[in-house]
Amino acid sequence: MPVPPAPPFRARRAARRRRQALRLLEQVGLPILVVALGLLAWEALVAHYRIAPSLLPAPSAIYERLRETWPTLLAQAVPTAAETAGSFVLATLAGVALAIVLTYSRLLNSALYPAVVFFQLIPKIALAPLFIVWMGIGSNARLTFAVFIAFFPIVVATMAGLRSTPPDMLRLCRGLTATSWQMFAYVRLPYALPQIFSGMKISVTFAMIGVIVAEFISAQQGLGYLIVFASSQADTALILAAILVLCGVGLAMYALVVAAERLVRRVYAAD
Amino acid sequence: MNDIHLDVRGVSKIYEGEQGPVHAVSDVSFAVREGEFVSILGPSGCGKSTLMMMIAGLEDITEGAVVERGRPVAGPRTDIGLVFQDATLLPWLSVLDNVLFPIRILKEVRHRYVERAMSLLRMVGLADFADHRPSQLSGGMRQRVAICRALVHDPALLLMDEPFSALDAITRDEMNVALLDIWQKYRKTGIFITHSIREAVLLSDRVLVMTRRPSTVVCDLAMPFGRPRDPRIVESAEFTALCAELRGHIEAGYAAEKALAL
Repeated sequence: MPVPPAPPFRARRAARRRRQALRLLEQVGLPILVVALGLLAWEALVAHYRIAPSLLPAPSAIYERLRETWPTLLAQAVPTAAETAGSFVLATLAGVALAIVLTYSRLLNSALYPAVVFFQLIPKIALAPLFIVWMGIGSNARLTFAVFIAFFPIVVATMAGLRSTPPDMLRLCRGLTATSWQMFAYVRLPYALPQIFSGMKISVTFAMIGVIVAEFISAQQGLGYLIVFASSQADTALILAAILVLCGVGLAMYALVVAAERLVRRVYAAD
Repeated sequence: MNDIHLDVRGVSKIYEGEQGPVHAVSDVSFAVREGEFVSILGPSGCGKSTLMMMIAGLEDITEGAVVERGRPVAGPRTDIGLVFQDATLLPWLSVLDNVLFPIRILKEVRHRYVERAMSLLRMVGLADFADHRPSQLSGGMRQRVAICRALVHDPALLLMDEPFSALDAITRDEMNVALLDIWQKYRKTGIFITHSIREAVLLSDRVLVMTRRPSTVVCDLAMPFGRPRDPRIVESAEFTALCAELRGHIEAGYAAEKALAL
């Protein structure tokens, strides 16, 4: 059987570009299509069975409520976002600091590491009312509780990262009479960065959970408060609208961490 | 050239293991002259790496002493170059910055050493890769960078722990030739840990054989080849005979070990 001649180069390149465009369409278009179909089905079901808006409002009703209450939603998003960002930054600084201390001091490690593991394992959310009892219903209580929630993933990830330096690399440094500060700054911390960032990605979502839960039980403002308020009014459309804004805030925070990671990786590329 | 650079005197290393003390190194003695290249040849687990760490000052010596130019070694010092089995380059630094890493640790002025670093890289054929990251290099190239890094601060003593044993056989032969060239040009005192008999004979002025039980030097053989050394000596009958003799010592060590185990 004669082998068909290879198509000319330009045709092959065009074919490859077509394949790439199709794959992009598949990866982006398909999920959007699924969501759109889901929303349509939701809308149709609500209309067909005449479901009460207090039970399940249609997507169009949620959108309507979102537009009506947009200024309020934005105003309530500010304290929630600020408290999340603040607690995340504090948790990161404190978590990295404690991880460094526990890595360098064997005594403190023996003394404190079991407690770190303990707090990592228990359902910390259950402790939220205690923070209100101790610290009142102000912003400080929410911030402290969110730091408490977001802190442990950073500690554990940073400790694992600081231990991931190849032993021969440390031997090489010691063989050159490097100080422990030099080894830390030039070798151990850069080697730990990827794991610190994975810890931060977990921690930023945890911080938000902490703030919302604290707002549920204590706040006079914030999206968590708005959700509780709306539920007391059976305003389900407003609950869902607030949740949508929350999703936006959460994604934006996560994106900031990813952007910071990209920046750092450009200098400390692992490969 | 006949001055003693390094004098290893009755050195032992004993770890406290779970089933009593473990003799990692037992009563090793030898001396290395200035500019001499000595290989320590032995099977894995014979304590040769531990011995090198003690010479580098990175492991405490249980008994005996290592004396360098008249002074007993008490810890790490700056005039040593270290090369390990893995290149251990920092992945986020360029090749040039990796070579200059000791300069950074020693807080020397970087720009004074850039030319030296570049000439070392040129020597091993990597000048064009100075701006590359280690991940863009092959295993052999990475190990050549590690050797340049070990030499950049002009140490008096170069300690190499199986530097080529993670490389494939062809790359390894290439690296042996490269190391002969480097030696011809820079002439340090060198201690080279290996489990390859051919590599030891080709590169060294003297070969010491270590066995596992006891972990000590059982043979100290001078290599009769001069310098500069032509890598083609490997084809000579003399080379083959030396390899056979060293293999005999290693096998005698195995036999003794078996007899002990029975």
